[in-house]
Amino acid sequence: MELTDRIDVLLSRVEKPVRYMGGEYGSVMKDPAEVDVRYAFLFPDVYEVGMSHLGMKILYHAMNRMDGVWCERVFSPWIDMEKLMREEGVPLFSLESRTPVGEFDFLGITLQYEMSYTNILSALDLAGIPILAKDRKDGPFVVCGGPCAFNPEPLAPFVDFFATGDGEELTLEYIRLYRKWRESNQPREAFLEMIAELDGIYVPSLYDVSYNEDGTIAQILPKKNAKCPVMKAMVNDLTAADYPETLVVPYGEVVHNRIMLEIFRGCTRGCRFCQAGMIYRPVRERSMDRLLELAEKLVRATGYDEISLMSLSSGDYSCLPDLAHEMVKRYQEKRVKISLPSLRIDSYLKDTLQETQKVRKTALTLAPEAGSQRLRDVINKGVTEADLIRSVTDAFESGWSAVKLYFMIGLPTETDEDVLGIADLAKKVAQCYFAVPKGQRAPGLRITVSASVFVPKPHTPFQWAGQPDSETIHRRQQMLKQALSGIKGVDFKYHEMDVSFIEAVFARGDRRIADVLLRAWQLGCEFEGWSEQFRNDLWMQAFKDTGVDPYFYACRERSTDEIMPWDHIDAGVTKEFLLREWNKALAAEVTPDCRKRCSNCGVRRYKGACV
Amino acid sequence: MRALYCFAKKDRLRFVSHLDLQRFMQRALNRTSLNIAYSNGFNPHPILSFASALAMGWTSDYELFDVKFASPVTEEVALAEMQAALPPDLPILSVRLVEDNHPALMGKLVMADYEIRLSGESSEEVCAAIDTFLAQESVIALRKTKSGEKPTDIRPMARILEKRPYGIFARLMLTEKETLKPDLLVNTLASMANVSAPEMRVHRLMLLGEDAGGNAIPLQEV
Repeated sequence: MELTDRIDVLLSRVEKPVRYMGGEYGSVMKDPAEVDVRYAFLFPDVYEVGMSHLGMKILYHAMNRMDGVWCERVFSPWIDMEKLMREEGVPLFSLESRTPVGEFDFLGITLQYEMSYTNILSALDLAGIPILAKDRKDGPFVVCGGPCAFNPEPLAPFVDFFATGDGEELTLEYIRLYRKWRESNQPREAFLEMIAELDGIYVPSLYDVSYNEDGTIAQILPKKNAKCPVMKAMVNDLTAADYPETLVVPYGEVVHNRIMLEIFRGCTRGCRFCQAGMIYRPVRERSMDRLLELAEKLVRATGYDEISLMSLSSGDYSCLPDLAHEMVKRYQEKRVKISLPSLRIDSYLKDTLQETQKVRKTALTLAPEAGSQRLRDVINKGVTEADLIRSVTDAFESGWSAVKLYFMIGLPTETDEDVLGIADLAKKVAQCYFAVPKGQRAPGLRITVSASVFVPKPHTPFQWAGQPDSETIHRRQQMLKQALSGIKGVDFKYHEMDVSFIEAVFARGDRRIADVLLRAWQLGCEFEGWSEQFRNDLWMQAFKDTGVDPYFYACRERSTDEIMPWDHIDAGVTKEFLLREWNKALAAEVTPDCRKRCSNCGVRRYKGACV
Repeated sequence: MRALYCFAKKDRLRFVSHLDLQRFMQRALNRTSLNIAYSNGFNPHPILSFASALAMGWTSDYELFDVKFASPVTEEVALAEMQAALPPDLPILSVRLVEDNHPALMGKLVMADYEIRLSGESSEEVCAAIDTFLAQESVIALRKTKSGEKPTDIRPMARILEKRPYGIFARLMLTEKETLKPDLLVNTLASMANVSAPEMRVHRLMLLGEDAGGNAIPLQEV
């Protein structure tokens, strides 16, 4: 039986066959005889999650525009499907042509969150690709990109090379070099050495790491003249950069089923906990004309009735009121809704709120992140309580009745008082609602207070910080729950500490924890980002079996002269800048938005950045 | 003006649910330059309806949906625009333009032709039971309705049953009051033959209405 028929037989036996179906409008089909490079792009989670990811859409489009290159999508099969595939000997396959992943030239994997790492090992195994890069004699090159690639070390033994930074040009460049290498009949290593010269390419096998007796890193040593540090790839002009003009339109519902329009990349705020705010520097805007042109093309090409303006902080787009106004005007007639995610509380909201409200009124999402002004200064979240009060009052007066407030628990220097401040803020928000006369406000106040657990991330000023132990976190979560219980209209949600702990281990792990990952996967860990799948007992077993101390990675405050596992990877900001920020954080001193004053973060070392 | 579009649902897309298909067609209409009429009200939606829901897992060579235009178009444009807006596994086969007062498809639907592909050990016995089934005046089976399962005479609802190399060709009633689904038919045949039901795949060949003389004709032409 052909592979496609063998897959077909399985589909009627799984929970959601649409996940493995393909054949969507906008999916790219090419004649295999007409292409010479085949690229399998894996999002290591289920279809509904992966299909909502913008980066995949950008790269899928960029690669498929190349002559002779065919990029196809691959998603992790859910537990039920994976079990059947193993029983029936069906290998991991691409959606478009149902080709085994092992037959591709590249397997590209996006690293969006650490808890997807076990799925990567499952995928390699299901594809019949040796788990360890050193055991691969042929078959696809395994490449990982995405934000977590800025600390590649926990995955170093499994991956042939990493791609850091903006992918839309870098991917095409290494594909061109691949063609050259293939013509040259050189061994596999020669290709890796060839591309290692590109900014943004990190080949882990070209670096040796040695350790001190206390477990810290002694030295990261490049071999064969490999570059050090590895600079990231950067696209300076987003207006000129490639952007999809059509999208794959899924049949079933996916998490974000709409047009995503990236209005800018990067962020100028400098929140000290935020990895995205550091690694995507500098801020680069797409011009309003280009955005309107893309919106027009995408609406026409996809038939979607909703456009979401995407960025790390959409309120900061320099022409946001003009853009929102123009888009609402153009699309009202066509019944296309415009939505603005990630609004910050200090954006000048009112006019924009009124514009977007004409078409859609969902919960207003605000992220004060910490409950006291002192702690907000520590994390450099440059907003005050007055900003928050003004924003929610504006929103309630304009007809909103639902507000989501995001916070973190476990931030550096946090005390019980800071956590109780969250409840005070929630109470004040409720008071703002009741201060609006009954006839003027929308009925049904809903305040959702959501508290995640702080995870220190590499390439941020908090990369030296320790995550508080689970007793402290549990106690503070319960304390806050208690304090919020008396406030009318408040719903409290908080994250499981155990998951955040594992995330903290992997976020700042080094090469030695690759063994833990492998062991956890062997023990059956998979889809660890799904709370019902997370198996803390198996992780603890894996640490025990490998003799790795997780607290060394997650909870220890690191010394400022320690070599970090990612010190040879340059994310744009310098270690000196991060250290300055760490010291300012401990002194609760704020750093202004870099649109107001340059804080000399180091990204200007990149040609064309911040001009 | 309204358009009655005929489309096929190919093998690859057989797991797309009816609800997802409705949403998908709405987006497909948005991809065209056709001027679709919208409903009034708080949440306007295109005036679009399907003749019959196709169950998950089934394929078809003949499904119909009905859409209203806010301004007139030619048949050529209506066809070409919609063909361009759909993927290869969901092709538009034909279109017929009708007046606004043309009766709704659902009300004119009487029956459907099916290719019921059987596989597995009991296929032969099930096919052999067709003769027994047809020879009886009434066959009582438990039919699922909105108000629960109730015993119904399904014999008159099976208009044609023929044994074919792939399994069974069946013409079955498909109205609001009288509907015989291929699964119930096969299960009934299996219990008549005293075997367990074989694996089945259903492919719909045609939706049918009736002309003035009571003859079966393709629904799009009614």
